[in-house]
Amino acid sequence: MTTQEITATSDIEIAEASRTNLWRDAVARLAANRLALVAILPIVLLFFIAAFGPYLTPYDFLAQDFTARLASPSSEHWLGTDELGRDVFSRILYGARTAVSVGLVSTAISLIVGLVMGSLAGYLGGRVDMLVVWLTDVTRSMPALLLAIVINLTLKVPLEAWMEQMYLATKNTFFRQTMWVDLVLVFGALALIQWPGYARLIRGQILSIRSRNYVLAARALGMPTGRILTRYVIPNAMGPLIVAVSAGMGGAMVLESAFSFLGVGVQLPIPSWGKMISDGLRMWQTHPHLLVGPAVMMAVITVSFAWLGDGLNDALNPRQWGG
Amino acid sequence: MSVLLDVQELQTRFKVRKGYVYAVNGVSFTLEEGETLAVVGESGCGKSVTMLSLVRLLPPAASIENGQVLLRGEDLLQLDLRQLRDVRGGQIGMIFQDPMTSLNPFINIGTQMAEPLIYHRGMSKSEALARSAELLEMVGIPDGEARLREYPHQFSGGMRQRVMIAMSMSCEPAVLIADEPTTALDVTIQAQIVELVKALRDRSGVAVIWITHDLSVVAGIADRVIVMYAGYIVEEAPVDALFEDPRHPYTVGLMGALPSLEGETGTRLTTIGGSPPDLEDLPDYCPFHTRCPYAFDRCRTENPMLELVADASDRGHRAACWVDIREVEVQSNGAGASS
Repeated sequence: MTTQEITATSDIEIAEASRTNLWRDAVARLAANRLALVAILPIVLLFFIAAFGPYLTPYDFLAQDFTARLASPSSEHWLGTDELGRDVFSRILYGARTAVSVGLVSTAISLIVGLVMGSLAGYLGGRVDMLVVWLTDVTRSMPALLLAIVINLTLKVPLEAWMEQMYLATKNTFFRQTMWVDLVLVFGALALIQWPGYARLIRGQILSIRSRNYVLAARALGMPTGRILTRYVIPNAMGPLIVAVSAGMGGAMVLESAFSFLGVGVQLPIPSWGKMISDGLRMWQTHPHLLVGPAVMMAVITVSFAWLGDGLNDALNPRQWGG
Repeated sequence: MSVLLDVQELQTRFKVRKGYVYAVNGVSFTLEEGETLAVVGESGCGKSVTMLSLVRLLPPAASIENGQVLLRGEDLLQLDLRQLRDVRGGQIGMIFQDPMTSLNPFINIGTQMAEPLIYHRGMSKSEALARSAELLEMVGIPDGEARLREYPHQFSGGMRQRVMIAMSMSCEPAVLIADEPTTALDVTIQAQIVELVKALRDRSGVAVIWITHDLSVVAGIADRVIVMYAGYIVEEAPVDALFEDPRHPYTVGLMGALPSLEGETGTRLTTIGGSPPDLEDLPDYCPFHTRCPYAFDRCRTENPMLELVADASDRGHRAACWVDIREVEVQSNGAGASS
């Protein structure tokens, strides 16, 4: 098998050394992106606080200290206290739980719905595709906040009534915890708002990858469909999806805060940053610390997710790999 | 030599909004063991669709309406998908036009090359990788073993086409279909790729179908040539006969559009005026008549069949034309160009 006579020299590229794994390559790219690296810190911190917040907080988020209402930041209350004498710092830490659970759960729900709908549309095409696209159009045509308000107003009362009935029927105290109603409604509204984005992304990915040359080449080599899906279509669809999920998490948290701000989100006593901002806004001239704490947190987390999404996009976008 | 591939009356059409577009219209040809057949014609004349039809790799809108594709006597159009997959890659290898996008950017070259070997030849992963390294060296990529761990973006266009060739040849197919494999490459790389395929063909005895619109490549590699126009084969001949004695006006036009080494400098190259028809119906006229300087009444009402040419120097020289162009004066220069 010696074939020196057909060995080319003109088009031999000296490859950069030891770039062996594409994902490792992407991580290296991400690490080289300072903004993305900076953004990871607050995000990791956020998840840490969400997981261990209750063990870190100096006070319970409900503990009221009427001797220290609206106290300014001090060594006792790092970020001061609110109208009811509750420690703002503790409430922000608890608020991280709301933010993270909203981010994770609503993104997970909308991602699953979007995956199923988007894949169906992309693979089956035809009428199914038209129906899915039509559904996403209809959903997206409604303003997000308006949709959330409508859901909250129309579903909250019947859902609470149903929970009460279930409690009476089963005597299970689970049905007495009305905060679940809030969470379900918020998650549901967020998922409803966000699934069309994922569905369209996945549909577009599948449509475009299905017609790529390497899929044709793989079919021409006789590769079975399942293998083409798992080795060719899905890995190539992952990059934009990861970026979208990263951005979507931040977006979901902001939306939840917006809901809370407008009074259709998570209701007290569960602390939510949006609700805290909304409450703090009434007294920002006299007691700015009520506004500053949660607002800064919100801003830092939002910007972090945006930067991370940006960094992931750069790291995972094949058009920027060169060659 | 015996017949390896026998294509009979192949017809493929595309469904479009207002009806159908007839892309391949009753194409028949044969390919013998070890032979190299060139398929030439301008863009959209059905070259690629014909070849994709052979192994049924058509886009969803296309359907094969009629015909037989006999590979060693077995009709590929009757096989179920499982059997067809064994043919694809196993017996018919394909190389495509754009090597830059023909490799999966997410999988390293080794894994990608090993896949067909594992799937078709039942090799273990390590056997397949060892064989892939050999194959890379065979197509002129030195240090194959190290390069197996690299990804497509670390290869240049010419190198990727070499990888594609290695992959398509890895399971020792009987037929290699090369669909304009040099079109997207630099001229120097083109020549290398042509030489590489020739060398591989001579060593392995694979029969090659080479689709191109570059007649100079045809002269260098082919034994026989098929000229396609508007989904029809309009001329078929051994390569020498085609270049010395072209009988279809379209072939003559293609030759005329080639720059000559001997001709005067400063003169414009001849072109074929107009563009091919959109075939929304099977034509009851010669599809070339609107551009043909020899066209007369019959060409507008009857579509000629592919028939043995008059005074053929070779039994295999056939053309689809009502006119014996050697006997007719061209009425006016580029008569058809304006219509």
